[in-house]
Amino acid sequence: MRAWLYLIAAGVAGAIVTTPALLVFFLLGGTFEDALFAALATLMLVSGLMVVTMRDIIRCGLAMIVCFLALAGIYVLAGATLVAAAQVLVYVGAISVLVLFAIMLTQSKAGPSALVFQTQRAPATVAAIVLAVVIGVAVTATDWHELATRVRIGANEVARVLFDQYVLPFEVVGVLLLAAVIGGVFIAKREPDQT
Amino acid sequence: MGLADSLDAYLVLSGILFAIGTFGFLARRNAISMLMSIELMLNAVNLSIVAFGSFVAALRADGSVIALMVMAVAAAEATVGLAIVIAIYRNRKTPLVDEYDAMRQ
Repeated sequence: MRAWLYLIAAGVAGAIVTTPALLVFFLLGGTFEDALFAALATLMLVSGLMVVTMRDIIRCGLAMIVCFLALAGIYVLAGATLVAAAQVLVYVGAISVLVLFAIMLTQSKAGPSALVFQTQRAPATVAAIVLAVVIGVAVTATDWHELATRVRIGANEVARVLFDQYVLPFEVVGVLLLAAVIGGVFIAKREPDQT
Repeated sequence: MGLADSLDAYLVLSGILFAIGTFGFLARRNAISMLMSIELMLNAVNLSIVAFGSFVAALRADGSVIALMVMAVAAAEATVGLAIVIAIYRNRKTPLVDEYDAMRQ
């Protein structure tokens, strides 16, 4: 019985993701890449909404992985393949595992999710919608002098820029990461005298 | 149509994702949920940087480089943030931020 429920849920999820793509492809006359963009954008936004609204926080973490994967697909569509690879390595591989471990370390059985949201959720909703509308209006009203089509940026080109004019920031980021790792270990370490 | 070929589509998408992250940060009670919302907001910003990089001729590879730097800094932030949450959890036995009221009393 539960297997049928999961199958139906998977079917509904697939329909939600593919409907905008089919709309774009057949009704609006977009190319295959446009349909792919619509599908990935829908997947990303739906899983992003699931991250902030679901009650079970483990499922929030899993939805966050889906959101990051869809975003990696959008990076590929935008032409930044190296950033997409780094997105999968860093976010899907590392940060998601870190977040899932932190969730498992901090969940208590006592009151798992009696109240998921703060009391200010209504103002927060209004603020988020206003923010989205303002950003959308500002973005569409501005002339960015952009190219008519996107350019594909290869790893070679990124490496030349990264190790030529961005060498100092690159080294500073390396030192920052080292400091963050040492600091994280120090903060999360259990003190010997307590507990 | 040209949805994948317009900068506005990417930027509006990133704006919506940023707004979702803002809502999560303001509305959730769990500290780790708030950190996940921050990750969503950082990813939205990264998406707009990548989009600028591939659509503005003067930026090209610089956009990708800056996005990679943002990713590294976000990883550092996640490490320290989650370590702080775990350290607080060890003292207060709860991950809910509205019960962290030691400095209010």
